[in-house]
Amino acid sequence: MAGVRVRELRKEFPGGDPPVVAIEDISFTVDGQEFVSVVGPSGCGKSTLLNILSGIDTATRGQVDITQNGRPARLGYVFQSARLLPWRSVLDNLLFVQPARGPADRERCRRYLDMVRLGHTAGQYPGQLSGGMQQRVGIARAFSIEPDLLLMDEPFSHLDAITARSLRRELHDLWQETRKTVLFVTHDVSEAVELSTRILMLAPGGRLVADLPVRLPFPRDPAADEVALARADLLRRFESLDLLAG
Amino acid sequence: MAWVRSPRAARLLSWGCFLAAWQVAVPLLPTDLLPTPSAVAAFMVAELRRDTLAPHTVYASFGLSFQRLGVGLFLAFAAGVPLGLLMGLRRWAEDFLHDFAVAGLAMPSLAWALVAGMWFGFGDLAPVVTVTLAAVPFVVINVAEGARNVPADLLQMSTAYRVGRTAVIRHVILPALMPFFFAALRYGLANAWKGLVLAEVWASTEGAGWVIKFWYDAHRSQGIVGYALFFVLVALLIERVVFGRLSRWVFRWRPARQHDSPDGAGPVTAGASGRA
Repeated sequence: MAGVRVRELRKEFPGGDPPVVAIEDISFTVDGQEFVSVVGPSGCGKSTLLNILSGIDTATRGQVDITQNGRPARLGYVFQSARLLPWRSVLDNLLFVQPARGPADRERCRRYLDMVRLGHTAGQYPGQLSGGMQQRVGIARAFSIEPDLLLMDEPFSHLDAITARSLRRELHDLWQETRKTVLFVTHDVSEAVELSTRILMLAPGGRLVADLPVRLPFPRDPAADEVALARADLLRRFESLDLLAG
Repeated sequence: MAWVRSPRAARLLSWGCFLAAWQVAVPLLPTDLLPTPSAVAAFMVAELRRDTLAPHTVYASFGLSFQRLGVGLFLAFAAGVPLGLLMGLRRWAEDFLHDFAVAGLAMPSLAWALVAGMWFGFGDLAPVVTVTLAAVPFVVINVAEGARNVPADLLQMSTAYRVGRTAVIRHVILPALMPFFFAALRYGLANAWKGLVLAEVWASTEGAGWVIKFWYDAHRSQGIVGYALFFVLVALLIERVVFGRLSRWVFRWRPARQHDSPDGAGPVTAGASGRA
């Protein structure tokens, strides 16, 4: 379990006058076994935030510390699309991200493929799998490095509702079993309420406008009253801030 | 006539008609400079049996030409891959080299053969240099195109997972470049093959191209046509057997799709045919 410390983080994209602000001086911390969703409308800097945390992008200023017992934390990343190497088998895709790629790593990769019920596809190429199966391979890949922090960027947004629902359950079970620290970006308020222990609300312009705990017992049925109430409450907050219009 | 509707039968019929018309027409023409197909076939069979008037057998001549082709292509890739990568990855290199690479694509291989013959005289060097110069623009342009098309999302994924540079080159960049290497090899080879024949005609005393000139000097039209057909057959063999199998193996991860065309961007093939 990792500790994430974000201080006064700002990201500007040059080109405009003034430059476009994607993230405006946000600060937050995430600790321990939290499943934190970052929720907000499209274009509010959610993906940019994850890209900065993962090292894909750099911040204009501010500070990011992701540590695990004082050492740099190991990160897993699940993207919107699976981002698998099409020319490598499913198992090799998992092995590709392992620091060592030894027999123990191979064994662990197989175990995580089994956990997402795709052990039988180890030797197949990603092009032979459906979109939902490819995304499950992406999830298995992220878990297979046994990360201290798991970053997820709208991992189910490209999938049909039925597949997305089943994958949400699978993700929740994996999280319950491993209790990794998760930072989960979504524009879907229902998804955030169903999965998270805490929700960060981002507004257009990359402003952090609320930091809310979700104190509902798991498993959460999306149709249950308390889940529906929490979802409605969150949507009301967005509306009161007049954020969705932006 | 329903059987003609089968594509294979129609194709066989068209070849049969062509050969029959050729066989019948030649004796009616007022010249002895056009051989009948049977004379060409008899010549080719004799050559394959090493029964020849030429100083070298067909095997020795093509063997030598292949060696020159192999060395020339190796040099074309050795020079073209780094230049192509530089062009694809650095804007200034693209600006600096682009016009020359495109001019190289447009240059007839005949011109390279003549220039190389003038520079290096008779021997191995002129054909090898011709092959290199004829192929290198295809390598440079295709590799540059490939380098520009390495999927950015996979490179980002590798960065996020802290994958080492060597593994990224081996598992992401090289496989992404592979369709472009294939295009470079295929079209570079097609252009170089024609350049090689010309260079051997002008600037060599052996090799398959030179043997065509030998038959020309000997006034044997079946020799010229027969050797030209050997060239066509060898090119087809390389295309079907070598490229076909290699590409099926390299691109085995693509289910039921064309095996040598990359996603999104096409390899550069302009000028690959009809220029010699």
